[in-house]
Amino acid sequence: MNIKNIEIVVAPREPHYVGDGFRVHNFIPSGYRLDMERMDPFILLDYNSPFYFPPTDKPRGVSVHPHRGFETVTIAYQGKVAHHDSSGNSGVIGVGDVQWMTAASGILHKEYHEEKFSKEGGYFQMAQLWVNLPAKYKMSAPKYQGITNSQINKYQLEDNKGVVEVIAGNYNNVAGAASTFSPVNMLNARLEEGGKADFSFPATYNTALLVVAGEINVNGTQTVAENHFVLFENEGEDFNIEATKKSIVLILSGEPLNEPIAAQGPFVMNTREEIAQAIRDYNLGKFGYLEE
Amino acid sequence: MNTYMQNFTKYLKTKANIAEPDFQLLIKKVEFRNIEKGEILLRPGEVCKHSFFVENGLLRSYTVDDAGKEHIIQFGSENWIVSDRSSAFFNEPSDLFIDAIEDTKVVLISSDFLNEASEISASFRNYNQIALQNHIRHQQKRINLLLSASAERRYMNFIKLYPDLTLRVPQWMIASYLGITPESLSRVRKELAHKNFKPN
Repeated sequence: MNIKNIEIVVAPREPHYVGDGFRVHNFIPSGYRLDMERMDPFILLDYNSPFYFPPTDKPRGVSVHPHRGFETVTIAYQGKVAHHDSSGNSGVIGVGDVQWMTAASGILHKEYHEEKFSKEGGYFQMAQLWVNLPAKYKMSAPKYQGITNSQINKYQLEDNKGVVEVIAGNYNNVAGAASTFSPVNMLNARLEEGGKADFSFPATYNTALLVVAGEINVNGTQTVAENHFVLFENEGEDFNIEATKKSIVLILSGEPLNEPIAAQGPFVMNTREEIAQAIRDYNLGKFGYLEE
Repeated sequence: MNTYMQNFTKYLKTKANIAEPDFQLLIKKVEFRNIEKGEILLRPGEVCKHSFFVENGLLRSYTVDDAGKEHIIQFGSENWIVSDRSSAFFNEPSDLFIDAIEDTKVVLISSDFLNEASEISASFRNYNQIALQNHIRHQQKRINLLLSASAERRYMNFIKLYPDLTLRVPQWMIASYLGITPESLSRVRKELAHKNFKPN
């Protein structure tokens, strides 16, 4: 055992709206010490903690906007979200599902609360991550993986005290559902009270977790409350969590790309010139077209 | 104070080539303000007392017609100056609104500042003169585009002048600036995509 210790526990920032449908706490990159370089390859994490949206006839969400150079991953905990993009892909993800969209060379997309959910209203809870792409894949073809909960392999924990869903990467020889362009582990641990899980990732990987629901104890030393984010040190490999209440924990661990990052708005490239090119290409319609 | 006014400092020192002693004197005569998104800096009927140098963020100037429709005259992002120059110069009521589209940091430049800077610094006087001529040239081109150019040409001109604004302002504001309907703008963008989109 080579214990991986907590570097910092980060409380949620004041929420802000993305469009009118996502009320999110940003952790990466604006959280204290959670900048893109430190969290590489995770370059954004917005967390919509449980929030009630009243019924409406006009679905709330984010209208057409571009992305280039990375992947967006949306994990639904409550509520349903519909997606359409300029590659012709569309889909609805609901509770427990994951949408993994590779923007790569460029995509236009829009994300709205699903129509029936909008009409009925209800609690909405989602995490959205941006996962950076290695330079050599930034201009590859866009791709869309709509992953339902039943497609996500699960590792059963001891004493039936919970499961670890393997969204990407690997956990105790259970393979992740999503394909990735660099080594990324993305796990949802769903734990009953008293449920325990051990994790082991290379020391060099940037590793973090978000307590989506409940309360946990990390390494038997630190209690972490709901909506709080834990960044681990880049030393040691093994850590464990124990649910002090029934909990859901999102665990992230990825090999840093260690490439230059140039980011502006919805584009994340390696150089300023590539950003300027992305803006020119977007303005000239090279990302395609998508109706509002 | 200067860390708040990095761009404005660069504007005076590098672009207007103001010497250090003059800069130290002049920088004390401007005011720095944080403007919240939506805050109005000038209303029709008021005399425009300041030019607003945008440190960061985004301002716009516009008019509202009798039917309540907005017509955007100018956008001003980082390093732009937004003002009603004639209202300020002739000390007469403005026709314009100026407000913030994003949370914006501005440097307030008064007419007195411009006069004083021109008096003590020949290079500022020259620079301001060229800026004024540039402004007139830009206005003439804009009138010509609005009178005679196709929607596509107006759009192509816009993305050259303001490359990143398509990512920062809603479509209807761009349409309003171009003097076309949002539907026409949508058609132009669709046609461009049709011409230029090559899926890989």
